[in-house]
Amino acid sequence: MPFFIVFLVTPIAVAVALYRRNPRRFLDGPTEDAPLRLLRWAVSLLSPQRAEWGHAMLGELGHLDGRRRRMRFALGCAGAALILPPWGRAAVGLWAAIGITAASFTIYAGLTVHYQLGVGGWISLAVVLIICGGYLLGASALLRRPGIALPGLLGGVFATMVGLSMAGFTALDQVTFIPSPWQQWVRVIAVPAAIGAAGTLWRRDPAAGRRVARLAALSAGLLQLLYGTVAVAILGSGGPPDAAGGGTVGGTVNERLGNNFLDLLVGTLIIAMVGWAAAALAGYLLRRTPTPAAPLATDPVQEV
Amino acid sequence: MQRNRRPSPQTVNVLRALAADPARWRYGYDLATEVHLKSGSLYPILVRLADRGLLETSWEPGVGSRPPRHLYRLTGAGREFVAALTAARRDRSAAHPHRRLSEA
Repeated sequence: MPFFIVFLVTPIAVAVALYRRNPRRFLDGPTEDAPLRLLRWAVSLLSPQRAEWGHAMLGELGHLDGRRRRMRFALGCAGAALILPPWGRAAVGLWAAIGITAASFTIYAGLTVHYQLGVGGWISLAVVLIICGGYLLGASALLRRPGIALPGLLGGVFATMVGLSMAGFTALDQVTFIPSPWQQWVRVIAVPAAIGAAGTLWRRDPAAGRRVARLAALSAGLLQLLYGTVAVAILGSGGPPDAAGGGTVGGTVNERLGNNFLDLLVGTLIIAMVGWAAAALAGYLLRRTPTPAAPLATDPVQEV
Repeated sequence: MQRNRRPSPQTVNVLRALAADPARWRYGYDLATEVHLKSGSLYPILVRLADRGLLETSWEPGVGSRPPRHLYRLTGAGREFVAALTAARRDRSAAHPHRRLSEA
């Protein structure tokens, strides 16, 4: 049930939020077109030491005419802005994410070769690589936002640990775990909502809370993928028989790897969306909470 | 710690384009077009060159609704670096004449 709620509400909530944030987002005007918006976003990711180069790219774009030429220039600059150092502490987080992804991919590839999963297995591996590449790109953008890296990565570890605590830490637990209704609510609603709300309260900013939730979702997804892939490597086709795998060794392994991939996508989406909603709600409540008045420096009665 | 790696062929092309008329200020897009580089490759090169003190930058004021524009040219150190690169290349070519013929 919680899955259905999340999947039904997600697209509507995203559309409403984007439209409310900026109704002109979907419209091109003479001074505000897609290349300019893309480049502004990319430039906002640059470190303060590189801000001048961001202005240089924007200035150059302002002198280019023709939508196609502008878009090609903006795409190139956006790519450059994403890789331009220095990143400071964010680099550590990104290298950790790259390491986790590389480990998952290597084990996945090893399983594909060892169990001779065939063309389908290689296609699945390529899809996983593309998706993980997207995750890393998203994480690299989020990690460079000030004050997001630490709470976002901690949120990802927290979500992973809660999930593992409920399922159990052994390889067999990863394959056989079927959550009860209350565990489902904890995984799907409580934990993501706690991450989003905590992110908002941490920075006292709902936008930061939403970014924390997104980074937590990406990092939790990558961590869970690694753990699940390691579990399949340990278990192979052992453990309980998997009817969906067709009863063969390769089929069972393939099925388990496929389940991990689905968990990656669904888990990420749920944490990001529920966390995002909780961050927005926490921000709304923060705004409504009256701030206590500052105490008077002197007693007005005595002044009279 | 500053690393002194040999510059990439793309970086050498940018340096040569800048060294062709070292006193002239150049725009980023024009430079990219001249050396057939995409903006995503050109700007990281310009940033590295500026970090190493080989490139100086300036701003051209905006005109009308157009924003200010960044300008680039080689510093004195940049010109010396290009001269040293050219000399090193000439020496290598002299030491390996066959290679030069095969490159031609």
